[in-house]
Amino acid sequence: MKKYSIQTLNENKRMSTQELLQLITAKVEEGYTDFEINACGQHNIGGSVWAKDRAQSLHFLLRNPGQRVGAMALKGTDIFVEGSAPADVGWLNSGAEIIVDGDCGDTAAHCAAGGKIYVSGRVGTRSGALMKHDPKFESPEFWVLKNTGSFSFEFMGGGIAVVCGYDCDEFSSVLGNRSCVGMVGGVIYVRGKIQDIAECVKIVNLDENDINFLNSGLKEFLNKINKLDLYTSLSNFLDWKKIIPCTKNDNTKKMSVSEFKEKVWVKDGIFSDFVRDDFKVFPIPSPGEGRFHIPSWNAENCINCKICINNCPQSAIEENDKIYKSNPEKCIGCGICSAVCSKKCWTISDNRQEIA
Amino acid sequence: MAAVNINQLHLDDLPWIIEYDETKCIQCGKCTAVCSFGAIKPVVETRRRLSGGLQKPSFEKLLVIKQQISFEHACRGCGMCSRVCPNGAIKAVRNENDRYSVRYRAEKADSLKKGGRSNLNTEGRTLDKIKIGRISQMTDPSLDAARHKFELRTPFGRILSADKLNFCVKDGKVESTVQLPPNRWIYPILMGDMSIGAVSWRMWEAMAIATAYLNEVMGMPVRMCTGEGGIPVKLLKSRFVKYMILQIASGHFGWNRIVQAMPEMTEDPAGILIKIGQGAKPGDGGLLMASKVARYVQEIRGVPRADLLSPPTHQGLYSIEESVQKMFLSMNAAFNFRVPVAIKVAASVTSVSVYNNLLRDPYNIVGGFFIDGLAAGTGAAHEISLNHTGHPITSKLRDCYLAAVHQGRQGEIPLFAGGGLGQTGSFAADAFKLICLGANGVFTGRLLLEIAGCVGNDTGKCNSCNTGLCPAGIATQDVCLTKRLDIDKVAQNIVNYFIATDIELKKLMGPVGNSTIPIGRSDALITVDKHVSNRLDIQYVC
Repeated sequence: MKKYSIQTLNENKRMSTQELLQLITAKVEEGYTDFEINACGQHNIGGSVWAKDRAQSLHFLLRNPGQRVGAMALKGTDIFVEGSAPADVGWLNSGAEIIVDGDCGDTAAHCAAGGKIYVSGRVGTRSGALMKHDPKFESPEFWVLKNTGSFSFEFMGGGIAVVCGYDCDEFSSVLGNRSCVGMVGGVIYVRGKIQDIAECVKIVNLDENDINFLNSGLKEFLNKINKLDLYTSLSNFLDWKKIIPCTKNDNTKKMSVSEFKEKVWVKDGIFSDFVRDDFKVFPIPSPGEGRFHIPSWNAENCINCKICINNCPQSAIEENDKIYKSNPEKCIGCGICSAVCSKKCWTISDNRQEIA
Repeated sequence: MAAVNINQLHLDDLPWIIEYDETKCIQCGKCTAVCSFGAIKPVVETRRRLSGGLQKPSFEKLLVIKQQISFEHACRGCGMCSRVCPNGAIKAVRNENDRYSVRYRAEKADSLKKGGRSNLNTEGRTLDKIKIGRISQMTDPSLDAARHKFELRTPFGRILSADKLNFCVKDGKVESTVQLPPNRWIYPILMGDMSIGAVSWRMWEAMAIATAYLNEVMGMPVRMCTGEGGIPVKLLKSRFVKYMILQIASGHFGWNRIVQAMPEMTEDPAGILIKIGQGAKPGDGGLLMASKVARYVQEIRGVPRADLLSPPTHQGLYSIEESVQKMFLSMNAAFNFRVPVAIKVAASVTSVSVYNNLLRDPYNIVGGFFIDGLAAGTGAAHEISLNHTGHPITSKLRDCYLAAVHQGRQGEIPLFAGGGLGQTGSFAADAFKLICLGANGVFTGRLLLEIAGCVGNDTGKCNSCNTGLCPAGIATQDVCLTKRLDIDKVAQNIVNYFIATDIELKKLMGPVGNSTIPIGRSDALITVDKHVSNRLDIQYVC
């Protein structure tokens, strides 16, 4: 293992990001695999670089890096940041192991789709946003010892995030506010208070598989950040919850308006002291009360020809001893009886009822 | 064959003609059963069939559906017949040779009346010529409509400018030395002003239920304005009255009951709206045809069954100053100055003068200015008013807002705009554009009817709200018609529409970068019409 050390600040002259990244690439091509870099805010360190022999891994020990540590890094790269790192740690991480022994800035693990990111402190706002999991590769993991900022895990599509909620007593939520908006996939394990989370996710209890995963993962994580002593206090899995996206079926069911009218609204309706309404709905057309026209029969000219009976489309007309009657349960008030009767026995009147 | 007289009303004079295909008809009678206008009837027609050779011609009798030719039974084109026909054998077709309005006046010596909205619409809609063109694209972070918590609330009530608050420090606390006028933070879309009587009791209650549901289940502080037809006492005495803005118009209908109920009310209403005029028939008073003055409407309004005409003006008011001193003062006093009082006028060339006068209100009792544009709907109006009077809402709202801006007093009396919103299917966009032009919020009535299932449209279909024969059970008091309306379904649909509109408003707020409603953010608007650009003072683009 050939080791190469880089000082990025020499006599007040700072190496640019371009110079540093090109130097790293050149040294990797020369066969160096182990880098110790005293950075000066240079971006993207540890990413977009790989050994010719892909079986060989690259190791980075970083101090004071700039944004996007390990951006687009591949499997076989491991990065250890001594102290904190600014925004976008592990941006588009595609397989590297990144350890930050401190806090991370905003959008840590943004779009990570592989590898593991371990953080021994807090991470900023929008962390874990758009994490994904391509089933042809290992699922990305994102471990945070303390808490995340607001709007984290937005539009998360896959992968596993673990927020251990250590040293968070002062916060009302270990995920800040309004996290998980647009989350459609993946899992977030959380220990501690959660508030103001997006409506598209649900918080559920752990099952046995979850506990097994967390149990072994937690040990590995704490080991990586050299805090195994916290294992006991973090491994009471009753303190943990799991956040997963809602499916169509378990969209939080709100009371229907009908139910509201039944249970909450003024009993029998606001007009009930002077309008009697059973709230039944008449189909159109409908017989009985719902008829707009009502036929009535007059015996005077009837020749008992039964043309009304034969032509009534509802078979509503009954004859009994030469007395004709339209059955209101069947009659819809079409007026055909009146139309076909040559003797004008049937008259049709409007049913202009008023509510009582 | 009966002879005809040329002055007789003929099928060709009617606005709608029934197209009937007897080869498809199975004489089921559904179309004639459902037609509330009695515009079609089953009849037996005699047909003569010629036979060959020396045989005599034969006659056959056929049962067919026939359109009635009379003013009373004229087809309104509502289309209920085709809705129920199992075979598509019947439909109402617009008659391009329609002479109905001429014949009606010539015959009846009376003005033509109708409901719905103006059917002229010759100007094209200004709001459709405006787009939201200032989108945050790296200039500032755009807001994600799903992520952000948007504050869709607007003040309703008088806002005092900072210099009038007279803050002082008392015992280490900041206090205002003046009594603050009442103010409510409400959803920027109000349901409104349709009176009991104009709409059926089911329609009215459905709106009230939807309002309560939106507040209590959805957490959306939507307010409903009652219209001028009174309010059921059960509602007044319930807690739900706090979502209601009580209206008082020139008829003062229903206020006796409100006053009687006051000692037993447990909640204050959301506000009071003094209605001076309405956009659909500005300068004319309310009109409720006798056919809709059902017993319960008589009771609640305290009148007999008759055509109810509200006077065009409040009888006791003679000037703007007096309105402030007398009407605003009385209505503020009604609930001991705890409830904001606003005023609604029809948009007019003179609206700005009115608004300017109100802005000078020395008593801080003017809590809102509602302007109703000419595309508003109505339950009944003289067609002459509906089609030929009024003022479009957009420029007038803008004028009022800019008048306040020029005095540095925008927002002190919140502006609400309405009249024909959602006419072309994009209610949220209309609301948003008016808000960007300076409205604190908007109100809508006719749209609620459409949500409820109104079968009419703005090009003359149905528009029979005035007849009391509404085939959808919305604008009627008739039992068998009203019971066609499913109150649960209507309330649910109104709720759903508000939820959808809420999502859509956020979809517009996000791109312009506002998490609160963008009142007066006209920089967000663009137009391809130079005249609209000049008139509204928004950016012209091409």
